[in-house]
Amino acid sequence: MEQIITNGLLMGFIYALVAVGLTLVWGVMDVINFAHGEFLMIGMYTAFWMYSLFSLDPLIGLPISMIVVFLVGVFTYFAIIRRVIDAPGLTALLATFGFSMSLKNFAQFLWTPNYRYINDAVVSGHSIKIGTISIGTPQIVASIGSIILTILVMLFMDKTRTGKAIQATALNKNTALLMGINTKKMYAITFGLSGACVGAAGALMSTFFPIYPGSGALYSVLAFVIVALGGFGNIKGAMFAGLIIGLTEAVGGYLLGTQFKYALVFLVYMIVIQVKPKGLFGW
Amino acid sequence: MVKDKKKLLIIILIIAVLPLVIKSRTVLNALVLLLIYATLGEAWNIITGFAGQTSFGHAAFFGIGAYTSAILFFRYAISPWFGLILGGIIAALVAGIVSFPFFKIRGHYFAIATLAIAEIVKQIFVSWDYVEGATGVSIPIIPRDSSFFTRLINLQFNERLPWVYLTLILFALAIFAASYLENSKVGFYLKAIRESPEASEAIGINPRKYKLIAMMTSAFIAALAGSLYAQYILYIDPFMMFSLDISMKIVLLTVLGGIGSVYGPIIGAAIFIPLSEFTRIQLGGSGTGIDLMIYGLLIVVITSYQPKGVIGIIETVRNRRNKNNDGGEGKGEAAS
Amino acid sequence: MKSKLILLLVIVMVAATILPGCAGTETEEPSEGGEDISEVELGAVLPLSGGAAATGVKLQAAMEVAQDIINNEYPDLDIPLAATAGLANMNNAKINITFADHQANPEMAKSEAERLIDQGVAALAGCYHSSATKPASQAAEQYGVPFVAGSSSSAALTERGLNYFVRVAPNDDMETGMFFEYLKYLNANNGTDISTVAVAYVDNEYGVHAHEMVEKWLENQYADEGFEYVGAVSYAGDVTNVDTEVQQIRDMDADALFHASYISDITMFVNKYKEFGVAPQAVLNYCGGFQDTQFVVNLGENGNYFAGGAAFSSDKLEDLPELAVINEMYKEKTDADLDGPALEEFASIMVIAEAINEAASLDGDAIMEVIHSKEFNAPYFATGAVKFDESGQNEVPASYVVQTLDEEYRAVYPEDISTTEPVAPIPPWDER
Repeated sequence: MEQIITNGLLMGFIYALVAVGLTLVWGVMDVINFAHGEFLMIGMYTAFWMYSLFSLDPLIGLPISMIVVFLVGVFTYFAIIRRVIDAPGLTALLATFGFSMSLKNFAQFLWTPNYRYINDAVVSGHSIKIGTISIGTPQIVASIGSIILTILVMLFMDKTRTGKAIQATALNKNTALLMGINTKKMYAITFGLSGACVGAAGALMSTFFPIYPGSGALYSVLAFVIVALGGFGNIKGAMFAGLIIGLTEAVGGYLLGTQFKYALVFLVYMIVIQVKPKGLFGW
Repeated sequence: MVKDKKKLLIIILIIAVLPLVIKSRTVLNALVLLLIYATLGEAWNIITGFAGQTSFGHAAFFGIGAYTSAILFFRYAISPWFGLILGGIIAALVAGIVSFPFFKIRGHYFAIATLAIAEIVKQIFVSWDYVEGATGVSIPIIPRDSSFFTRLINLQFNERLPWVYLTLILFALAIFAASYLENSKVGFYLKAIRESPEASEAIGINPRKYKLIAMMTSAFIAALAGSLYAQYILYIDPFMMFSLDISMKIVLLTVLGGIGSVYGPIIGAAIFIPLSEFTRIQLGGSGTGIDLMIYGLLIVVITSYQPKGVIGIIETVRNRRNKNNDGGEGKGEAAS
Repeated sequence: MKSKLILLLVIVMVAATILPGCAGTETEEPSEGGEDISEVELGAVLPLSGGAAATGVKLQAAMEVAQDIINNEYPDLDIPLAATAGLANMNNAKINITFADHQANPEMAKSEAERLIDQGVAALAGCYHSSATKPASQAAEQYGVPFVAGSSSSAALTERGLNYFVRVAPNDDMETGMFFEYLKYLNANNGTDISTVAVAYVDNEYGVHAHEMVEKWLENQYADEGFEYVGAVSYAGDVTNVDTEVQQIRDMDADALFHASYISDITMFVNKYKEFGVAPQAVLNYCGGFQDTQFVVNLGENGNYFAGGAAFSSDKLEDLPELAVINEMYKEKTDADLDGPALEEFASIMVIAEAINEAASLDGDAIMEVIHSKEFNAPYFATGAVKFDESGQNEVPASYVVQTLDEEYRAVYPEDISTTEPVAPIPPWDER
């Protein structure tokens, strides 16, 4: 059972990093980014091509993935989000949904739908054994990476001027404008930052997860649940919710049957939301 | 009462005449699917557009309706007409029981909860032997030489024409019901609740009761659409019926057309469905995904340039005209 | 004025609905044979976008190879219809396959099948995904159009009592029987003592049915021959990790593991098996991820020693010269060797073309008559022939057991087809 719990926590950290990007965008701009899973996929592919074409280990390719998806995020903001941000809520959803479909199929067009796999990274094939528990090196590295990045994002939001400016914009856009904050720039940075987070997650996951145009799909749905569970806009919430979901998946799956893994995740969400209607840390 | 009865009838009549003019089965197929999705959109509009509770899980009710009539026919050879009504009732009950505790939850949180409901329902059906689980239900095909009457009882036709009219009748019912609801007491209360829940409670309107009515009506209509769909496709399984794709399609086409207006779903469906069919037929078959890519891009373009949906375009045009006819006839027109 | 706007909108709507109609043609009926037709229209509905598009594209390539062989003259190639250009009994009419994409969506599969039928195709092939093959063939049945499924493996397909449907690939019922015989063979030949059996399967039609077949064969026959069922693990197809699943499999500690999985999940499973040191004496895979050539590409030597059913392995190219030629033609299009599903789809086109040729007609009933009665000569299959029983199932098993050895698929069972001895038990991970 300790093995199961460990696995659940490890996956949980990774889910959390994916969710952090989404909760930023959702909390700051009240935009549901349906293309978030595709951002993840782009991060994964970036790492893969760095590996495949330039023999760069995904860990070294990680900053590149972050930069690439950061740029994709910024581009998405300027090309699409900017136009729909003041529209009725669901319109942004529609736009990002269309974008997600385009991205997914563009990836298929460029890189074929074949499943790729990185099997010769620095971390591949190794595992650490602590007592009776075996931890795959790719997973522990991914988890540690996720934790570090999540903390970095939290520090960025709390301690830096830009971070605080973003928070101000989230709280009240008009007041922020009056205070001299360039809200458009803040939004662009937020979207970019969201991309960077999920791009990093993609690079970290590329060492143990198959890479294909649809690889972001389930992570995307889980990210929505995690973000809602943790409270929109709340990074700490996303972290905790990610862990809860990871544990539910692992332990629940083990006890009740692995085919029910995700149904249990959804059930947990529904129960928690009854008790805390705005998520665990929502406000 | 139903507002603008004449307008609704005109639309329905035009659609009714179409199949007599266009014989292409591809077009008629697109028309049938269009009408089914438009019906779903009308149903969805009732809970999301009127009542303000966004649902991302409407596929659940669509699927429940489909499964009820399919299983009754598959296992007991009971006519799908009966299954249709029973499916609607079951869906309404499920919707009521499951969503009632969640009405106090607002906005996005509620939306994700509906998504969760649909996914859980999907898992239930996958693991449930009585409904054939993951294998899905292949609806038995009646003999090719069956009479029209037999076909009508069993809701299975070789031709597209009967399907166009059946789905058109369903859509007509849906849009009239939605219009009636919108302009009834319930409808006004729902709008009040949507705009300001606290104020409505202060006046003595019970939000949960009216949301329940909206949800159950919405689920009922969605389930009817599901039954017809099952009989049309002749095969259902949990993955295709309870999919997030379908739930999102319903959201998307209604938003595209204009949420909150009874004309929204039919306009959105009329754009959305032919668009996806067209891109697939013209550009699919290459294995490169180009058709879906262009389809996605078109959605992005349309929404980016007209975020308020097509109804938004109409209102913008109308407002501009009203400004030009300053103080004249423009003032009297209330929003529909 | 508002009414005018609404009316304008309705017209827009109507135009939008007519648009796809311009793409399609009016309803046509396939004409009778004997007239001067220069082309026989066929249709194929495949997954050409979405997750299985990689496979869909390969299946399309295989069908195109068949089309090429049928339409042109290959006098040195000893397979039916190769020597002549086109179909001899139809005034040398050439076949023309129109491909359509079902996007792994049953609604699209039905729409596309009907669209092709409207265009007047004489027969349909496809769809790979059993969940797409079902509605597509239901549509074909309604209109009396023959449907030959190449690689869809769900046994449920031939249990529907359809008159216009046949299927080339062995179903999972037949394959399960073969797997058990293989296990018995290993016990006799390789000195393994395999008795406990567990199943890992993806929680959809394909996996659930495979699992049912394992239970059925155990109950009907193999429990009495010393095999015992110890459990099963099932999981959602889009799963993000298989940690818990592999834990449970490890706990079950079965001698033999049956896997009904797709390429993305099996890749994760194999890596986790290595991580947790899970190595049953034998692992048998159903037609799914294992047959995807990406399996050995992605897993390298970690993918060795896994077994499964396949209709093709490159080691048989020496024994089957016709297959070698077909493989070369296929390689030119895809840069890869054939695989089981591609070969089966190739066969489906051959069956359709031969049936039309022999019936000398495009009439659905005449074609089905030939399909049901004829024994098709199929020198590209290791088993050499294709013959459909009353339910539409090809009773000649097109596949045999292969094992990945040295990162290649090698035929290991039955003995008359095998090229190498199987390796069993699978060596533990630390001994490789």
